[in-house]
Amino acid sequence: MSTNLNIILKRASKVYHEGETIAGVAVVESSSDVRHEGLSLVMEGCVNLQLSTKNVGIFEAFSNSIKPINLINTCIELAPPGKIPVGVTEIPFEMPLRARQAVSPGYPGLLETYHGVFVNIMYTLKCSMKRSFLNKPLNASCQFFVQYKQQEPAPAKPVRCEINPATIRAAAAGPRAAMPHFQIYAEIDSTVCALDKPLTGKIRVDECSVAIRSIELQLVRVETCGCAEGYSKDATEIQNIQVGEGDVRRGRDLPLYMVLPRLFTCPTTTTVNFKIEFELNIAVIFEDDYLVTENFPILLLRSR
Amino acid sequence: MPVYYDWTSAKKGSRSKHVSPSFEVSSYPLKPTVISRKEQSTTSIIDHINKWSSGFEEVDPLLRFEQMTLEEDLNPLETETTEGVNYSKAWVTRRASILNKYTTGEKLTIVSSYLPGGEKVSTFSALIRQVSNLNEKVKHRLEQLDDFDESSVRKTMGLSQQEFVTKINMLNDEIKKAWETEQRVKAFKIGIQCSKLLSDISVMQFYPSKFILITDTLDTFGNLVFNRLKDKSFGNNTLVNVHNIDPRTVPESAKETCQNWMYKMASIRELLPRLYMEMALLKCYVFISKDEIKPAIARLTTMIRGIGNPLVAAYLRVYLCHNASKLLSKGSEEYFYSNLTESLEEYQQIFLPAMKKKYESQLLTQDKYLNLYVPALDWLLFGALNSNKCKSDLLDEYLQRCEHIENSELFLSCLVSAFDSPTVIKRAPKILEMVQSNADKMVLMNEVLTSLGEHLCKTENYRQVASESLIQTWWKIASGMKSTNHFLQVLESWLQFACTNLSTQHVNVILRGTIRYMVKCGKPADEFSGNFQFVVKRMLKSIPDVEELFLMDAFMPLLELVQTSSARTMMAKTVLSIFFTRYNSVHIEDHIVISSLMRLCTILHDSINAVTVEDESKICGELINKFIQAVTYQDNLERQLNFYVECRSSFIKLDTVLITLVHAVNGLSARASPARGKWLQRACAAYCFVTVPSLHCTLTKTQLYLLSGQVALLNNCIGQAEANFKALIGLIPDIPDYILEDGQKKPTHVKVGGILSDFLSTLLLLPDNVDSNCKAYILSGFIKTMERIHWKKTEPLYYSTLLRTLDLLCEMTQEHYAHQIESVLSNDKLYGGDSEFIDVLEKYNTNICQELLVVLKALGDNKETKKQYNLALELFWRVVRRGDLQQRPMMSLAANLWMLAQKVQDSNNKLAKAILSALQADNSSQSRQLLQKLEEGVKNT
Repeated sequence: MSTNLNIILKRASKVYHEGETIAGVAVVESSSDVRHEGLSLVMEGCVNLQLSTKNVGIFEAFSNSIKPINLINTCIELAPPGKIPVGVTEIPFEMPLRARQAVSPGYPGLLETYHGVFVNIMYTLKCSMKRSFLNKPLNASCQFFVQYKQQEPAPAKPVRCEINPATIRAAAAGPRAAMPHFQIYAEIDSTVCALDKPLTGKIRVDECSVAIRSIELQLVRVETCGCAEGYSKDATEIQNIQVGEGDVRRGRDLPLYMVLPRLFTCPTTTTVNFKIEFELNIAVIFEDDYLVTENFPILLLRSR
Repeated sequence: MPVYYDWTSAKKGSRSKHVSPSFEVSSYPLKPTVISRKEQSTTSIIDHINKWSSGFEEVDPLLRFEQMTLEEDLNPLETETTEGVNYSKAWVTRRASILNKYTTGEKLTIVSSYLPGGEKVSTFSALIRQVSNLNEKVKHRLEQLDDFDESSVRKTMGLSQQEFVTKINMLNDEIKKAWETEQRVKAFKIGIQCSKLLSDISVMQFYPSKFILITDTLDTFGNLVFNRLKDKSFGNNTLVNVHNIDPRTVPESAKETCQNWMYKMASIRELLPRLYMEMALLKCYVFISKDEIKPAIARLTTMIRGIGNPLVAAYLRVYLCHNASKLLSKGSEEYFYSNLTESLEEYQQIFLPAMKKKYESQLLTQDKYLNLYVPALDWLLFGALNSNKCKSDLLDEYLQRCEHIENSELFLSCLVSAFDSPTVIKRAPKILEMVQSNADKMVLMNEVLTSLGEHLCKTENYRQVASESLIQTWWKIASGMKSTNHFLQVLESWLQFACTNLSTQHVNVILRGTIRYMVKCGKPADEFSGNFQFVVKRMLKSIPDVEELFLMDAFMPLLELVQTSSARTMMAKTVLSIFFTRYNSVHIEDHIVISSLMRLCTILHDSINAVTVEDESKICGELINKFIQAVTYQDNLERQLNFYVECRSSFIKLDTVLITLVHAVNGLSARASPARGKWLQRACAAYCFVTVPSLHCTLTKTQLYLLSGQVALLNNCIGQAEANFKALIGLIPDIPDYILEDGQKKPTHVKVGGILSDFLSTLLLLPDNVDSNCKAYILSGFIKTMERIHWKKTEPLYYSTLLRTLDLLCEMTQEHYAHQIESVLSNDKLYGGDSEFIDVLEKYNTNICQELLVVLKALGDNKETKKQYNLALELFWRVVRRGDLQQRPMMSLAANLWMLAQKVQDSNNKLAKAILSALQADNSSQSRQLLQKLEEGVKNT
């Protein structure tokens, strides 16, 4: 006497663009006939914002957590009240994915799915089956992902930089007794990056008087949440990738290559209430744990 | 109780019409046997044979392992044949040789979270150090979390090599287990941890083997992922493999899964595991798009630059190329080439002071350290050579490179061993020149020179370059080498080159130089006896005419350089065995060669003592025998005999040699013509008579006495022959029933029977000793001995010997003997049918016949009817043929025997029938009479 409710999307990747139709089936699996008061499907999309404890007090962080911003909310009825026969019943559905028409001020439209620390953009399909009042309604939910349509590729903006003791702004941790002598050249093919393409570039250690332990590439998100009381801006690491291990050969181009992780990245977004930006750090760690970093802000785009 | 029958032998008339008594038989030993077999098809017969023999072809356990790994690697994925080069096969052989070569007795360490035991290591401590912007509090919390984490990393130290291998295999199984239980991420994590182990170079000399073990595990993981994706896409279709997957037919869900794996792999934090995992998953790109594979390989090629440690990087490139070759087979050469170029760019990393510090702290010498890179460079070169580039141009290019870089020896040695012979040989002078210019500080010089030498050996009659000048340059380098081991290693192949291409004088000069070097090096040559032997072996095998070696004045002194007896014995044995396998004429005539070989044989012989194993002395014996048989002094028979005398005194410990000597001397004696000197024949006979007693085996002694006696008789040395025969008779009682042969007890009676009947027929020719007061001196001695031995009466050997003696005695009563030796005066001439002599013989006959009747009765008592029957018939036949039937006793004896035979078994027996028909065919009156009597007898019963 058990009943299962499930949503299966037609598209295995579950990635949809605005204007497309989300198609799939709601599957009811039951060992006996099911009587119900109606089967409905809700499509929901919202932005969850959270203030970090760093910028505001703890109390405010909990009480003042900003109201989620609703992006889409559509409901359809899959089946009128009635009976579903024993066995597996598939109820197909189709829902258009379209931004709301009546635009309220500050409504950003359909944003890309993004999982961050302080900002989360999520889309879900929820199916619920109302049943006679003694039984609890059955619920099933399924996430899907929204992506922008691919734009024409933006012109590449390469950056080059040289890192040597002279270019370093010494960290606040006080003057270091003796900085090793080094000369490092780094290059990023473009600071405007397509999300589906790996981030590429190269780095070259021309000279270095001490042994190098590791060369790393760090992808950082900078999330800004704003509201009436103020805003918070936080940079957190998404992923850190080693490109050089050990004391690499001098004067050789090491390729920088990073595949941008899905879900944890999205096109650089700026709205009234929040901002999602990305930065890249190149870190060179010497044998004695001394760390030199160089920061590059990057612009992520959904482009070909 | 048998009646006493007086034996009378029949006198055969003249043998003018030579009709031997005979009866018809249907089968006899010389009859050609025709086996008719239905020919089906040839293959089926072979299959048939294979089927039956398969049970015996048990592969020995060590080989079986090798085959197992072979089969494992040749799964359908890689069996796709490539035209030209078979990479998977090449890989398998290299894989095995790496595992064999790079072993260690050091303790190893393994770090993993999926193995039981070991002490905990904080997972995050390393990570925390990296992420510097974490504050102290968070760090502390993370460390606390770490303690609760079930998959905390454990470090197991002090593992022996074997234990390490077991652990890796455990991880391999763990991956499979995790995969089967749907814990795919766990399998992934184990894969990452495994590849991390490869960044540890703490026990360097094991690193190549470790690489092989771990990449096998990674391959397992790669195959698991691939097969699952394949199942997802095509179900159980076994025809699908890497090469024929069309990405367009792959369903979206499988593509999605594959993408997910790729994303997961791309986010691995550390470089080395990320690279290894991507290589392991390289073949999964076929599900997304085939076009991505090549750029991915190219990208990985450059990304490896990020690995600072040259050893780790070199093997990483090997794995990349290995996977590329599996995927692209023929198309992978460009990646081999590019990877080789990359590693040449990083070549100097190998010689960094930091690395030097590391390997020195592990007590490795520089050549051992450099040797660790050899398999890696070799594999890269192997692939690069298969590209379409012109090989000689490529070699030129690389050689030029070698000239320009420092520490070029590693690369040079790999180059020389990787390129094919014709290409290398063309550049041989240049390579030698390069070696010469760096000779004083070159580490792998021996490797370079050895492989160069090997290449040179491969050419038949190489004339393009003046071999002489090559050898001279080489000698200049080699004679300056510091390590004697290296010197000998290099000498091995170059000596072969010299042997095949230069005159013996040159070789001799080199040998002299070698002696000088060995003396100068200050250490006893015994330390290098192993290498030394290889050198000698190669030389023996390669020199066109083996005899020439002994004609060089430096060869024997060279062999005598080793001093300990065991080393000398080994040397002598190798030299002799190779000499005899290569020596193609039958005789050795040259005196120098003979004396050299004699010296070696003496060394070999002297090594034998009480504790020598039987097989060992057997081999020695065989070698010495070959020597003795080959030596010839042509017509100088006296010299030859002297040689045999010398041999006897030198090789007294070996029975087989003595046997050979007796045979040889007998042969010599037979060769000697009486005109040349009777004394030689006598001397030979004396030699044999004196030599035989020192043997151990009685049976062999009997045989040799018989043979020597026969030869002496042939040469009309009656006294010597008699002495031999006497000795033989004296030995008969001592012959054991069983002798030990190859560890098995074997009955002797067949052999003894043969010897005795041979002996008896020889006795027919032997003139009687007139001086003795007894007629038929030797024969009567034999009969007396027979009586003295308490043989079992029912023993076939006993009664068949009696029958034969009977035959002989009857034959001796004839006026003219059936055969004779021209110069020897046999008894028929000697006695001329003297009645006294005949009477003696007849008396013996009567006794023997009597004894045979006793035997018949004994057989009957023992219920051995078949033997009894046969014996009765045999005796009957002898009575009929040899006895005088006109005498009544003989007639009645014959009749009684027939009756006995009939009683025991019916007359349908073949032998009986044949005898009967022969009797019927005979027209003589006696036969008629006998037949009549027989028929009567049958009726009466």
